[in-house]
Amino acid sequence: MSILERYVQSTESQIPTVSHHGEIPSGMPTCSIEIDGQEVTAAIGESILRAAQRAGFDVPTLCDDEKLAPAAACRMCLVEIEGYDRPMPSCHLPVTPGMKIKATGDGLFAKRRQNLEYILSDHNAYCMPPCQIGCPTHIDIPGFLELEAKGQHLEAARLLKETLPFPYALGLVCPAPCQEVCRRGLVEEEIAIRQCHGYFGELSLEMDKAPTPFPQAAATGKRVAVIGAGPSGMTCAYYSSLKGHQVTVFDMMPKQGGMLRYGIPEYRLPKVKLDKELNCVWQLGAEFKGGMMLGRDFSIDDLFAQGYDAVFLGIGAWRSNELRIPGEDLPGVIEAINYLNQNARGDPVPVGKGSKVVVIGGGFTTFDCSRTSRRLGADVTVVYRRSRKEMGAHYSEVDDAEHEGIRLEFFAAPVKIVEKDGRVGGVEFQRMALGEPDASGRRRPVPIEGSNFVIECDTVIPAIGQVPDLDWYGASPGLRKTRRETIVANGALMTDRPGVFAGGDCQMGAVTVIQSVAQGKLAAKAIDRYLSGADMAEVAAEITEEESVPELIDIVPYKPEEPQVRMPFLPFDQRVQSFQLIESGYAKQQAEKEAGRCLQCVCPDVGRCHLQRLSLEHGLTENRFHRAEPVDYHDYEYDFSHDFILRDLNKCINCTQCVRICRDVIGANCYGLMGVGYDSIVTTPWNVSLQYTDCVSCGACAETCPTGALMMRERDLETWELDITRCIYCGDCVEVCPHAALGETPNFELSVYQRFGTTVLAKEELAVARTWKPSEHIPLDGEDRRGVRPPEVRPPAPPRWGE
Amino acid sequence: MPTSAAFRLLGADATGSRERALALSADDTIALIEGSELRGRGGAGFPLGAKMRATRTAAEVSGDPAYVVANAYDADPASPLSRTLLERSPELVLGGIVIAARAVGAREAWLYLHPEATAARSAAEKAIAAVARHDDGVSVEIALGPGGFMGGEESALLAVLENKRAMARQRPPWPAEQGVRLRPTLVSSAETLAALPLIVRDGPDSFSGSGGSRGTKLVSVTGAVAEPGVYEVSLGTTLGEVVQTAGGVTHALKAIHVGGPTCGILNSTRTGVRYDYEDLKAAGTYMGSGQVRAIAEGTCIVAEAARLFEYLSKETCAICVPCRVGTKRVRGILESISSGLGREDDLKWLGELADHLSDFSLCGFGITSASIVRTTIAEFPDDYRAHIVERRCPEGTCAPSRSRRYETMAQP
Repeated sequence: MSILERYVQSTESQIPTVSHHGEIPSGMPTCSIEIDGQEVTAAIGESILRAAQRAGFDVPTLCDDEKLAPAAACRMCLVEIEGYDRPMPSCHLPVTPGMKIKATGDGLFAKRRQNLEYILSDHNAYCMPPCQIGCPTHIDIPGFLELEAKGQHLEAARLLKETLPFPYALGLVCPAPCQEVCRRGLVEEEIAIRQCHGYFGELSLEMDKAPTPFPQAAATGKRVAVIGAGPSGMTCAYYSSLKGHQVTVFDMMPKQGGMLRYGIPEYRLPKVKLDKELNCVWQLGAEFKGGMMLGRDFSIDDLFAQGYDAVFLGIGAWRSNELRIPGEDLPGVIEAINYLNQNARGDPVPVGKGSKVVVIGGGFTTFDCSRTSRRLGADVTVVYRRSRKEMGAHYSEVDDAEHEGIRLEFFAAPVKIVEKDGRVGGVEFQRMALGEPDASGRRRPVPIEGSNFVIECDTVIPAIGQVPDLDWYGASPGLRKTRRETIVANGALMTDRPGVFAGGDCQMGAVTVIQSVAQGKLAAKAIDRYLSGADMAEVAAEITEEESVPELIDIVPYKPEEPQVRMPFLPFDQRVQSFQLIESGYAKQQAEKEAGRCLQCVCPDVGRCHLQRLSLEHGLTENRFHRAEPVDYHDYEYDFSHDFILRDLNKCINCTQCVRICRDVIGANCYGLMGVGYDSIVTTPWNVSLQYTDCVSCGACAETCPTGALMMRERDLETWELDITRCIYCGDCVEVCPHAALGETPNFELSVYQRFGTTVLAKEELAVARTWKPSEHIPLDGEDRRGVRPPEVRPPAPPRWGE
Repeated sequence: MPTSAAFRLLGADATGSRERALALSADDTIALIEGSELRGRGGAGFPLGAKMRATRTAAEVSGDPAYVVANAYDADPASPLSRTLLERSPELVLGGIVIAARAVGAREAWLYLHPEATAARSAAEKAIAAVARHDDGVSVEIALGPGGFMGGEESALLAVLENKRAMARQRPPWPAEQGVRLRPTLVSSAETLAALPLIVRDGPDSFSGSGGSRGTKLVSVTGAVAEPGVYEVSLGTTLGEVVQTAGGVTHALKAIHVGGPTCGILNSTRTGVRYDYEDLKAAGTYMGSGQVRAIAEGTCIVAEAARLFEYLSKETCAICVPCRVGTKRVRGILESISSGLGREDDLKWLGELADHLSDFSLCGFGITSASIVRTTIAEFPDDYRAHIVERRCPEGTCAPSRSRRYETMAQP
């Protein structure tokens, strides 16, 4: 072996296999093999994997590319072959006649799954954002947090308003289902998402005109009536107005806000600021008609008669459920919603200093009532029939209530209200134990005989849920209601009567504010489609599809720990007897710092990522390698400096496909493995920016990458014209272009022949000259010494000149 | 110790072997070696005769030139067998290379050395100069490995000879069919090849031993023994006798670690196990790098296993997932156990991961390393139980090395 021979690397260091797309070409010698008991015809010399794939067997693989020599690195395609004592990689072994192969089976499945678990335990990237999926209105949380961290506040506010028109109000009252599923919680503590969007809401309040997600559409001339100025109605009005429809909002109350104003107490949501925030709806041209009650002042038919094209019912759930126990009609039993309502309006309420109040229930209303009573100076006990865990209210609110001096009593259900001097003197309770789970998944309480006890009080507030007030229903033909007193609507939120939509509490039963907002948003979309004459069955199917919950896989995240930025709170001792707002909001630096903690659980490769697909197929919904020491994980810097290719080493699974394609097919040889042992990683020489390598920006590596470790930056493709007067015929462009984009142009072919000077061809000779493919090195002496070359990227382009 | 007076490698005199070898035809040489039943001393124990015949056949069928690579790399730093051999009898190794090369039809051969083996290298250079003087149609070159454990792996070595990173390559195809530059290559350890001149000169019967395995094997006896060093023992010698060869143990014996960093640890009742390919395999470990390490009482085996996996997770070539991530994760679990964070089901989990390592790994590195987990759990259950159940180190030597362990935290 000569020195030259030794130091010029051979390109194929693995067994070359024959690969064919689709059918075996006629004339290829074939043989018969057996895969999972099924007879399969395979071309002799091709890999087992290829034969199995052609026959329709789903053999998983993460490092196989038809263009490349196999690496057998990912170990996903291992199959059991008769005659081998252990599983062998099917991408690597050529077919031999009569082979008996087992490509599926529980043992293989379990081991492949283990393999994926390993990969996901060192795949420091997070696929899909659980927060966005968990949020009922699907706020682009990673998106606005990224903008927030960068200080682009106006853009962040705009992005928020795409799905959430009232970030300030929700920033205070939302139970934040997003935070419960936040992946940062697997590192140390979730992101304070709610507080972060509250910060933007507050910023928007200070502006003369609130930012809109997109410019308001031109007026369509259609009119939409929204009944109910609560969260769902106002959201529907906001997005309908943005679409250019003329919206009128009716409400039975004199002022806007619905439950936000009349249900949620001042200490959770200051009404002055709520009004400022809701103004964004009126700024878009919508109109408010207060004191108009459906059924009393107008009917749905009236609205259509007045020329409205669509109606949205967002009337909420304002009627408290009854306890259905003796003594409920005694003086001193207060209806929860009415009580909050009176307090919000500043009317006198029957609770004051020295009152002894019992609030029954475990939901948000329960705690609004009890904490309000506490602030009015009462001595308050909350009684719930299940445990703290089952409470419908957010755990933070339960904790806060306890800290404010409210007693909590669990596992007790009311039996009767005790009379004393003609009014309430106490409530008799019975102890409960938890039995089997019921339909809602919560364990059903079972009474314990003979365990009755009495809590003395002068006021009882039953807060065990609300239902919509549907007294007007009889006069509205075409609507249906459920047994739970809610309005029936389809997937597009349209009721049985065309043009009438329903959403929020009145359609779902009492739910959270954010769920109502989500319904308002969907209703606005459906109404817009309805007004443009779309088929509503299609719209319903579309919305159902959009709202379906995608599956998540469990990836072990690793980032250095950094605690949550705490929101400043009003001290507990100042809360009693004061309706002052508890949360004072983030300052700019705090908001930016907190947003910077976001793991950015988004990957542009979602849906195309083979690792994601295989992990879903193998049911990787949990991973056993979370939360160990930092040395167990990797946190690499990403390299987004290249003009066309984005590199994120955190997503690399060391399949070496990019190494092989760049070396063997493209010839640029930009990638290789660096580091030792577990810390080995595929990267550029000395881990420099890809910009400083021999990269020709062909994108073959990004195309072949099974994950999102290498991705093409979005780019606008343009056609470039050659300025022949400036070309010096260097041929560099032709030589480096791996897609033969330049090699096909006659002028450039001319430059190839000019460059080496040995053959100056006449015009007619040029017409028949062969086209050199870019992966071939053009011989200096004109002799074709190509020998064995790497597989071709694409078939050679036919000469197109001389026509 | 069974007598092996008839055959010794260390210090043997190769006089006359060259003349005898030149007189033999290639076929006769291979037949002779097949008759001696010489098996590879690199640990796997593949019959050298069969390997040579396969290489020769592949070269004849393909028409490509064949190569010979003598692996004198000594991947395990505690087992300098080839270095010792080269320093003491370089002419045996070189003689073996020439005989093998002539038999398989190769004109070029490499002696593959560790970059730090300077004494062995200069000894080899002198012997190569002698070979060049004789000019028997074979040119031998010294090739240096990259350092590190994986540099000595049979297929990673082929990558090194192609100027690539030392990474294992899937077999089959075996190097005998597609080795260096996809040409037929005989890769064998220097120790195996060193036996050839003696077998050729004295005939296959001189190479005698016991049972299915024959001849002698160099072993590096280390650890708690009086005179650690490289010794030559007959195959079939018991482990207890091997330890005795090095002057016996200096402390009470707790365990014997046979085979180097990727192989299993046997407890002290296993001194009767014979040092032979099949017997060691039946005991749960391998001949591996030829190291026999006596572990004294007072050593926690859990910490020992964790230490081995720490080494392995730094030395894996990272081509395949089970080995790159698996060794790291097994190490993490073992360290958690030794740090007092173990749980009952960790042992079952380790068993699963060991099965995965041995079934799904690409090369012998991952396949054999599973034996560490299996043997330590099977042979030292008390050490694990003390750590997991009683939350104490059985020897009182383990200091917590981590404060957190792997947790299952299901996604929402």
